[in-house]
Amino acid sequence: MAEVLSSLSDALAGAVETAGKSVVRVEGRRRQSASGIIWSADGLVVTANHVVTRDEDIRIGLPSGETSDATVVGRDPTTDIALLRTAGGKLTAANWAKAANVRVGHLVLAVGRPETTMQATLGVISALGDAWRTAGGGMVDQYIQTDVVMYPGFSGGPLVDVSGGIVGLNSSALAQGVSLTLPAATIGSVVETLATHGRIRRGYLGIGAQPVRLPETLAEQLGQEIGLLIVSVEAETPAASAGLVLGDTLLALDGQKVGHIEELMALLTGDRVGKQVAAKILRGGEVREMKVTIGERNS
Amino acid sequence: MTDLIQQLNDEMADVVDHVKHTLVHVTNNGQSHGAGIIVSSDGSILTNAHVVRQRSLQVTLPDGKTVPARLVAHDAERDLALLKIDVTELPAMQIGDTQELQAGQWVMAVGHPWGVAGAVTSGVLIDKTNHLINQPSEGRQWLAANLHLRPGNSGGPLVDVKGRLLGLNTVMAGPEVGLAVPADVIQTFLQEVAQALGNHKPDYLENNQRPEIV
Repeated sequence: MAEVLSSLSDALAGAVETAGKSVVRVEGRRRQSASGIIWSADGLVVTANHVVTRDEDIRIGLPSGETSDATVVGRDPTTDIALLRTAGGKLTAANWAKAANVRVGHLVLAVGRPETTMQATLGVISALGDAWRTAGGGMVDQYIQTDVVMYPGFSGGPLVDVSGGIVGLNSSALAQGVSLTLPAATIGSVVETLATHGRIRRGYLGIGAQPVRLPETLAEQLGQEIGLLIVSVEAETPAASAGLVLGDTLLALDGQKVGHIEELMALLTGDRVGKQVAAKILRGGEVREMKVTIGERNS
Repeated sequence: MTDLIQQLNDEMADVVDHVKHTLVHVTNNGQSHGAGIIVSSDGSILTNAHVVRQRSLQVTLPDGKTVPARLVAHDAERDLALLKIDVTELPAMQIGDTQELQAGQWVMAVGHPWGVAGAVTSGVLIDKTNHLINQPSEGRQWLAANLHLRPGNSGGPLVDVKGRLLGLNTVMAGPEVGLAVPADVIQTFLQEVAQALGNHKPDYLENNQRPEIV
């Protein structure tokens, strides 16, 4: 009885066991510990940034049951990735699955280690899509949505295919109401930047702004209903140097319309830091174009 | 490919058929409903303590026959109860082993959710844990599975792919976690009850030792 079902059950448990060798517990916040993935045998661990709320006193719970201290190498809040370093040695680096092999409808497991033992839950790949930008402005190479339930402490752990390969990193903070997974390619590029520079460069203007509805005739002319009213300009910032003042309404930056803070955030990418770009603004009822050199955000 | 899924479906249905031979329906004079499992051929029925609201109970057997049942033992802390019916030569559920459990393995729950007799839900084992947060009775051992338990599932079996009893479905925790009392806890309970009955203990054990024999 139950040949195929037995094989399926064994395969699922086997996949969890295989992947679990690279899944650690991350103790980096007050309450619930979360999970992380061993990136390299020399001690790099990737996890979700939102589960590492402190910068010191971080511990990693290894598959062997031992715990070891860890430090923060760097954080990228925009993709919700944090890179930690712990002692290398008896670590098994993650075996990443080929992204091209993942298809909608495939069975996948979310694996976590919020405590000493591995925990797992099953679901299917619900949707795959192109590159997308997170609310925080981070660029993600592929959209991966599943119907796995993210239990407490599963963030930072892997999405695992049926052969135990790791498809990506699960984070409950990327979107509300859906389970999204960061693909290996994105983790790879963020890890590389964090390991080299310790940070992800983000652009900075130095303004506070809020969305406002534009006058109807102007909206028709511009083909844009909402702009960003500048409500504060910090001294000695790119915005101040460019001559932006309180009361200006920002309409577009570098040729892209901005009606919401998220849209502006998404434009303040690392590759724009130090570049002079056009800022289209509304001042005294007139549309003007100014030049602003994007600065770099400190934190 | 399609053959494989077809075979998978057939095998899951076989497991359910097998399990249903030992699945009963427990009612309190038609009031509340729960599930129960035949654990001995001479009519011992295991269910959740919270399913048993009063001493006058009825058990509906897999063949549809409803018989009176009497409460033998009741353990509110472990949420287990043992009933007895005067029917013999019944098929009994084999109690499985919880030592070999692995996160990710396939499990199925059979019961009577919302009164739908013999309905099934399935998922995988999340963990054998006493660490899940939002769980009732901190520190207790549970089997956690990613499946939906509903009123009427209580007292029903959580089984593995071979139809062996892994746990007694008891409660939901958090949004999508079904919790079951593990088979080893059930074994201990059954042994304690057998011992207490064998020793001709009075109506209940001394010093409030569990389980309470009634």
